[in-house]
Amino acid sequence: MMDLEKIKNKLLEKGMDDVVVHSSCQEAIQIKFVNNKVAKTGSELTESVSVFVAKDQKVAVTSLNDVSDDAINKAIDKIAKFVQCLQKKESYVGIAKGPFKYKEIEGGYDFNIKKVIDNAGDVVEEGINLALENGAKRCGGIFEVYDSNSRMVTSNDVSEEDKATRFYFSIRSLINKDASGHKYSCSRSFKDLDYKESSVRSAEIAKMAVNPSKAVYGKYDVLFDPLPFADILQHVGSSCSIFSVEAGFSFLKDKLNKQVASEEFTLFDDGTMPKGYGSVKSDEEGVPARKNILFDKGVFKTYLYNTSSAKRHGVKTTANAGLVSPNPWNVVLKKGDYSFDEMIKKIKKGVYVTNQWYTRFQNYSNGDFSTIPRDGIFLIEKGEIKNPIKGIRLNDNIPRMLKNVSAVGNKQKQIVSWEVSEVPVVTPSVLVKDVNITSPD
Amino acid sequence: MYEDIVNFCVDYASKKVDFVEARLEINRSEGFVLKNGVPEVSAFSNSRGIGLRIIDNKTLGFVAINEFNKDRIKKLIDKGISLTKSVSKIKQEINFSDEKVNVDNYEVKQKKSFFDIHPEEKINSLLEVDKSIDHVNNRYFSLSVNENEKYLINSEGTKIKSVIPRVSIYYLLTLLANKKSMQRYWQHGACGGWESFEKWNLRETVRKEVDEIKQVMEKGKKITPGKMDLIVDPEVTGIMTHESVGHPYEADRILGRESAQAGESFVNPDMLNTQIGSEVVNVSDDPTVPNNFGFYLYDDEGVKARRRRLIKDGKINEFLHNRQTAFELGTKSNGSARACVYNVENLVRMSNTFVDKGDHSKEELIEGVKKGILMKNFVEWNIDDVRLNQKYTACVAYLIENGKIKGLVFEPTIEITTPKLWSSVDAVGNNNEYHAATCGKGEPMQGIPVFHGGPSIRIRNVNIR
Repeated sequence: MMDLEKIKNKLLEKGMDDVVVHSSCQEAIQIKFVNNKVAKTGSELTESVSVFVAKDQKVAVTSLNDVSDDAINKAIDKIAKFVQCLQKKESYVGIAKGPFKYKEIEGGYDFNIKKVIDNAGDVVEEGINLALENGAKRCGGIFEVYDSNSRMVTSNDVSEEDKATRFYFSIRSLINKDASGHKYSCSRSFKDLDYKESSVRSAEIAKMAVNPSKAVYGKYDVLFDPLPFADILQHVGSSCSIFSVEAGFSFLKDKLNKQVASEEFTLFDDGTMPKGYGSVKSDEEGVPARKNILFDKGVFKTYLYNTSSAKRHGVKTTANAGLVSPNPWNVVLKKGDYSFDEMIKKIKKGVYVTNQWYTRFQNYSNGDFSTIPRDGIFLIEKGEIKNPIKGIRLNDNIPRMLKNVSAVGNKQKQIVSWEVSEVPVVTPSVLVKDVNITSPD
Repeated sequence: MYEDIVNFCVDYASKKVDFVEARLEINRSEGFVLKNGVPEVSAFSNSRGIGLRIIDNKTLGFVAINEFNKDRIKKLIDKGISLTKSVSKIKQEINFSDEKVNVDNYEVKQKKSFFDIHPEEKINSLLEVDKSIDHVNNRYFSLSVNENEKYLINSEGTKIKSVIPRVSIYYLLTLLANKKSMQRYWQHGACGGWESFEKWNLRETVRKEVDEIKQVMEKGKKITPGKMDLIVDPEVTGIMTHESVGHPYEADRILGRESAQAGESFVNPDMLNTQIGSEVVNVSDDPTVPNNFGFYLYDDEGVKARRRRLIKDGKINEFLHNRQTAFELGTKSNGSARACVYNVENLVRMSNTFVDKGDHSKEELIEGVKKGILMKNFVEWNIDDVRLNQKYTACVAYLIENGKIKGLVFEPTIEITTPKLWSSVDAVGNNNEYHAATCGKGEPMQGIPVFHGGPSIRIRNVNIR
């Protein structure tokens, strides 16, 4: 096991002002399935170390995955010289001062992980069979298991260790090229992985999506399943980072304490959430993770900071370091009062979206964007789900859509997916009024 | 020393399985981030590891190793084989096309090694670019340089060594004026050394872009939506080609292997020789063009790279293949297998995708338009998961009337299907330009360097709004 204290001390001896040393050891397996068969298995063991140093307000980072003493010593020598050649970041004011006390993440480690790995093939087989039994003609997806151990020391009296397990299951069921459904499940312990429900539901959506009619266009109320709305929320979450705001990647500049979203919209970032896929004991400078309210009944309450960026803005860290860019841990939309059926009944003319992809911004700073619904998409008329449709695009604006959130479901789901990969999101289904829908000629 | 370890992996695994391929990758890189004129962070990293593909009883397994202790390697390989065996009853049978066994060694030399350029000089280069546009409200630059050393061997005798350096820069600029805002985000990239960065002349390039965007914000008018002609310049030709020709012709997508990730394709295997565009449309993908960001001479299965003619005279001519898809479709691999880092399997990928040059001058293209739009570059785009329904929104664009460029227009957008797009092309320019991008595919996500471009092309009578 690497001696992180030794690395830190060597760097301090070389005159560094601030030092943060992280190490990570991760074992992972993966089973990818395609057309009802296993297409590939994967297994991996990765060890790595990363080092952050600051010297006279000059800031440098290095990472390496050759963790032999020789390689680490070379990296220590190099970064100590490298940082001297840089230019000052005048706004850098240091890292958090420890020591801190940490709480274990509730449900963050599954001690049965070895057994799950031994039976991983059975999980995939069961998922495939459930999809086929429920009407899918073919299905594809992936099952991943991660077992990781990360440690950290800093020059400001921080020493922390975090063990985590993570489970991830994705399944896309198809009847034909036009009729498909895609569901994901993720968890910190295997017993919470609802891969069976994902398999069944993906096939049910595929069945509902058979024989889609032509695209629609114009203004429609859109009912987002948790999966596609999580895609929107990951962008909202990353837009809260003060780094994103300053770099131009955020629509939240000058929006503090302003009504940005509808009153239905209360959003948290919660690094401490029990069983949270992204939950951590501390941020990257050792500050214990916490829950921050980002939007309270639509009013934007705080940007996300690390120690240095917080001092620059005259506030306290929100425990979201990223030593360079603060980031959210788990973006959580507070659940509302509506059942799925109640939300459908509220819609006179609408579209139900079960998945989306390729979200791209025309302008990050004002939130103009478009995204493409994929898999099952359904027309809603007079409170009822009608026929499937295909070939549409949502062309709208994030703050406008947030203001048009008119109902939030009463059942949350934790989402990590191929598309929702920046930050885990917990969200119910959400109804947004008057979304602009377009389609090709 | 590392070659011994790679050889050891293959020797050890060969005794237990039917096929082994080991790919050692050593990466040395540096990165520099500048935000609003402030050097945010500078970084360097060294990584190395071995990605091992095994086929046991026609089941494919992958093992990633970055601990080079032989006893631990044995345990990891055994674990990988055991996992592979455990799924054999639900396996997809894996077969590879027969290919020539290649032994070769190549290196792209940096004329000016980026590792010899002092870190301070690299930051100063960014600061100079930033200074030339310091009136722009938000400015973000991220520069990276990387040298990738590879050693690929397999149990059939293939042995390829390569060294490929790459340099790239990404930037996002935000301009605000009169309650309007516009953004420009773009990437430049090349296979080569620091000389590539210098060739981009970014100070001038970015300053000109900013001046144009200011003009658009000041004078650009929204167009009246409707049917008209569209000329797209190489930056837009490139993205259109990448998204609606390159991706749907990836044979793994066509066969459903990316179904739950980046999607499938509207193209079926039996669509070879189908007319998909007008007769003037020819599209190629060629990794062997020097300095292109997606350059390589042998793919990650050791197959010699070559130019692929994806569309010939408007007909679908060839798909992109690795050895597995080639076997499944009864053909030979055309060297399209790529992995972005040692710890992921290779996938079918594009490299450098472009419309072949035509014979019209840019002036001739414009002269032939009664009413239309010239889209110089773009700011937003996307396409559906079977690569049919796509959208491109211009950053800088002009109105054309009666064969003449009139004035600037504000962010015109085309939303169109792939067959409609390529069958509406009536003329192809004789100009040429290429652009770098990082293309995403696979799970875990693999971002891989690619190039795309070509000439300006004219698209007749399409809806623009």
